[in-house]
Amino acid sequence: MKWLHVTLIACLVLVLAACGSGNSGSKSENNSQADSSASSGSSGSSDSSASSGGSGSKGKTELVFWSPFSGPDGPFMKKIVDAYNEQSDSYQVKFQIQPNGDYYKLLDNAFGTKKNMPDLMIMHLDSIPTYVTKDLLQPMDDLAAKAGIQKSDFVDAAVNYATIDGKWWGIPLDIHPLIMYYNKDLFAAAGIEHPPTNREEFLEAAKKLTDPSKGQWGYVMPTLWPQQFIFPSLLYQQGSDLVDESGNPNLNSPEAVEALAFMKSLIFEHKVSPENVAQDGEVKLFLQGKNAIQFNGPWMKDQWDKAGINYGVAPIPVFFDQPGVYGGSHTFVVPKAQTDAVKLEGIGDFLKYVAGHSLDWAESGQAVASKQVLASAEFQALTQQQTEVAKEFDYVHFAPPIPDWGSIVGELWTQINLTLLGKAEPQQALDEAQKKALQAVEAKK
Amino acid sequence: MRGSWKSKLTSSLFVLPYLACFALFLLYPLASGIVLSFQDYDMLGSREFVGLENYRNIFTPVTYIHDQFVRGLTGTFKFVVYSVPFLVIVGLALALLVNALPSRGRGFYRTIFFMPYAISATVMATIWMRVFDTDTGFLNILLDRIGKSGPHIGWLNDTPWVWIALVFCTVWWTVGFNMIIFINGLNEVPEELYEAARLDGANAWHRLIHITLPSIRNISTVVLIMTVIASFNVFAQPFLMTRGGPGYETTVLLMNIFAVAYGQHQGGAASAMAILLGVIMLIISTVIYRLLSGRRG
Repeated sequence: MKWLHVTLIACLVLVLAACGSGNSGSKSENNSQADSSASSGSSGSSDSSASSGGSGSKGKTELVFWSPFSGPDGPFMKKIVDAYNEQSDSYQVKFQIQPNGDYYKLLDNAFGTKKNMPDLMIMHLDSIPTYVTKDLLQPMDDLAAKAGIQKSDFVDAAVNYATIDGKWWGIPLDIHPLIMYYNKDLFAAAGIEHPPTNREEFLEAAKKLTDPSKGQWGYVMPTLWPQQFIFPSLLYQQGSDLVDESGNPNLNSPEAVEALAFMKSLIFEHKVSPENVAQDGEVKLFLQGKNAIQFNGPWMKDQWDKAGINYGVAPIPVFFDQPGVYGGSHTFVVPKAQTDAVKLEGIGDFLKYVAGHSLDWAESGQAVASKQVLASAEFQALTQQQTEVAKEFDYVHFAPPIPDWGSIVGELWTQINLTLLGKAEPQQALDEAQKKALQAVEAKK
Repeated sequence: MRGSWKSKLTSSLFVLPYLACFALFLLYPLASGIVLSFQDYDMLGSREFVGLENYRNIFTPVTYIHDQFVRGLTGTFKFVVYSVPFLVIVGLALALLVNALPSRGRGFYRTIFFMPYAISATVMATIWMRVFDTDTGFLNILLDRIGKSGPHIGWLNDTPWVWIALVFCTVWWTVGFNMIIFINGLNEVPEELYEAARLDGANAWHRLIHITLPSIRNISTVVLIMTVIASFNVFAQPFLMTRGGPGYETTVLLMNIFAVAYGQHQGGAASAMAILLGVIMLIISTVIYRLLSGRRG
């Protein structure tokens, strides 16, 4: 009897110890406690079977496809993959989802150890330069030509960015730029008819919507994420960028100081935002209906839907001289080590299918990069978000195509954080960021 | 003596499984890490031997890696200094309290105080961010209700509040472990000592100072060293809750090692930073141990 107790307690301790060995700290909004290889659409799992009773994977070439879609968008891609596998006689795509926060570590490990390499994977557009420089990716020109995919099938901005040294390195799936979400109920209560389109309208609306006694704010300014999307957008709107023409960091340009000063003024001068906003503070306030406007990415849609907010979507206002917005993009890339001709053909076949059938992906809230789908009646009929997002494609910019740009620009976010918390002045902060960026560039030589 | 080699063999066999795991999961990675710190590795396949260059860079003031190391070490040091006293003293206080309870209450409260230790870092961070958020956090809302006026306190992005929040969360999360060890230590103090003291007229405070504390001296040293080591390894709380902010105030060394390895793609440099951290911890632990156990007898 005593042994039974001991054994039970031992099992309990083991379980608790396993749970207690901390996570790697993936961000809470993208977090699902997903294991490192979740759903695969593989052998004979006919959960999406139509009446044709899925042909098993016998004789089909298997293609391993990695993605970081561990959030609510994962099932939408799985639908596309399953549908493709249904209609293909020669290829079977095995779809694997990695946790979003760990994706590049896993990818780097696979590249480094040369084990468990997938045949096809998603990569963010602005990471492509890093991996091309390390000679780890394969140009898609031949693959695309064989499958009948052309550059003109996709939004220009994404294709141009992925074309380095005349070769085309990644076929885009979607583009996710910064967009404006606003609380329609708060707007109606303040008598504002349409979302702001420029600086004057924005300031006017935000001030009308701010009432500190009710704890209500017009625009809550984030001090950490997603400044990575907001700050560059303000630079593009002034015709400037984070790097100069030669690709050197240019973080303390007059336009950058202007952009940072403007953001700071929203908190301390116009007072449409509270001070000391912590990570995700603006999201929490928006969810509680206490924040009227926020700038974020299309991936937030699911959270707003679940919370039942009556929200509207619109392109971000033009605060300066011209429209401009920062975006990311999910792109398909193939590792250089992939030399199997049959598999390459299969990859081309799958990507051609995706380009024509990515409406399912659009339903996750993303705006797809395929011109064909963008023009289709079904896409136009989707809920407001996708069409609003697609409006920004004409003037979307991506991160500078510099390898390891993330580590070079890291200090910028720290200094923006300090400035927006009222602990630094824009010019000095950006000078410091520029100094550290040059230091990081030096370290890479 | 006959049979002694047999008993030695049996003992060795018992140790073998642990030895195998130790070699595989501790010795091998440690050796690899040391070797890696003498190389230039871009995390993606290409390695190159560079000797002491990584270490030299860490000690050269103008380099990127020097700043990362110094900033991180400063943040880690601050955390160690702020958190260790509370972790040890609160652990001891809880142990004394729990032991003073009647035996039925003892088991119950021991479990309650230990439970936070079993949850993951992400869960802990989610809970406490809910409490400490500036405008939607439970604490600030409570403070508003009881009459505090003025702007909300930035518990996660304003000094010194951010340190208070981080230390508080860490104590809530991990003090149960120290408490359990102290309870064990307290239980080993012979009851006769207390009896004798009571007969001599000592009150509770005297008994604590003159009997309890000296008797648990060895175990206190162990707890102190373990807590110092654990605090040096802090990563999850600042990474998840404050992102190293405000600015880089709460940026700790492990965060920067991570950034150098995966952001800057310099595995060798990151490894050198980690080895240096390990050496620093070794020195400090040795000093503490010598200081505290050296004065015996």
